[in-house]
Amino acid sequence: MKSISLYRDNGTWLCRVHPFTKLMYIASAILVPLLIGSLWAYAVFIALDVIILLSGKSLKRARGLVIFSLTIILTIFIIRGLFDEDNITPLFSIGPAVFYVEGLMKALHTGCVIINMLLSFSILVLTSKPEDIADEMERHGFSPRFSYVISSVFSIIPQMMSTMSTITDAQKSRGMETEGSLSKRMKAFIPLITPVVTSSLINTRERAIALEVRGFSSAKKRTFLNPWKKHRGDAAMTIIMLITVIATAIWRLATWLL
Amino acid sequence: MSDKNIFRTKFDVATIVLIPACIGINYIGKLFAAALKLPLWLDSIGTCIGACLGGPVIGGICGAANNLIYGLTTGDSITLIYALTSLFIGFFVGIMARCGFMKSFGKAILTSLVAAAAAIVVSTPLNIIFWGGQTGNVWGDAVFAAAQAASLPLWLSSLADEIIVDVPDKIITLILVYIILKALPDKLTTLYEEGDRIERLD
Repeated sequence: MKSISLYRDNGTWLCRVHPFTKLMYIASAILVPLLIGSLWAYAVFIALDVIILLSGKSLKRARGLVIFSLTIILTIFIIRGLFDEDNITPLFSIGPAVFYVEGLMKALHTGCVIINMLLSFSILVLTSKPEDIADEMERHGFSPRFSYVISSVFSIIPQMMSTMSTITDAQKSRGMETEGSLSKRMKAFIPLITPVVTSSLINTRERAIALEVRGFSSAKKRTFLNPWKKHRGDAAMTIIMLITVIATAIWRLATWLL
Repeated sequence: MSDKNIFRTKFDVATIVLIPACIGINYIGKLFAAALKLPLWLDSIGTCIGACLGGPVIGGICGAANNLIYGLTTGDSITLIYALTSLFIGFFVGIMARCGFMKSFGKAILTSLVAAAAAIVVSTPLNIIFWGGQTGNVWGDAVFAAAQAASLPLWLSSLADEIIVDVPDKIITLILVYIILKALPDKLTTLYEEGDRIERLD
């Protein structure tokens, strides 16, 4: 069964870095440019994202995630460039459509925010196993119920997807049309989704009983099957990033107050 | 069921197991909508089911956990921002369901309008902050572009964009939820009844 997680262990250093360090990196990659507020800060962090992904041999897969959002970024450029309320200075025109500098600069800013966010998140998403993140959270004091929810989602979805393809085949063999006009496709949605949803809800009852029998509600402290192998430099990296965020926040406050 | 404790929530195993199932249902809904090329999201079916069965708190948890898990693991980090929207959808649908507004088809439509209102009110500011007002849905963004071209204020164009997408989406979602809940066997739904009382023999 195919997992929905994008994690692949490619043996690079990035896969061994603690998920919390990566979360800290995401926080600083989003907060620092936001506090500085100018485009070069985004450029620096986008470059940093690319370097990290490149050294973790994951840039190629991250590219797929970014390409996905390029269409919406393009529409932002078109709509802002043409119609933004602050548009004054025309830059160029294609036929009757005139693009303005102010709107395009705003769109560039939004585009940078989105790409920086996607890339910094992809560092975590591509190189950390969801189950590991759940385990680490539990080890650091989160409720075991919480980590059950996370790891369970990843086992339930492939199961539901296989039910989904079974039901699609069954309904198609009974003559249901899944292509054609919008109303036809709308009508196909109900006989497809209802059986999948109902059966997965009915399954929860048995799962609940099975978990209860295995002591899920026990208040005893759990032990772990897979201990986390510590990576050198996790603490140092987290501290450096924390200092950077605090320093920019202080700088920002200082420029506002002085 | 007394109206006093609409927020009362059971945190037993059955409810905890319900959360990942609902998150999975959200995912499947989105997948089917994409497979059938429907111009809607339909990614909150599970959240609404969770809200109807488990109440407002579970609905909110389902919604928020849904976006957080997908955002942090499938690379779709944009959805993270909308965790807030999902949380409020789940929460308000839960309140409506506990007040008996999922009992008939007409009332379910009313619930769907409440869910759509919650989604619109929370999403529009988020859209403006992060996307400059767009939603990423073709139809909605066409309306947005038209409204901007008519030099309407940004928030109004963005609101129109959201309304065009969210109202039909939530109406269809809750009609589906209504059909599904009717089809569920009683032995399952009784697990989540909050008004139940255990009779003790000792």
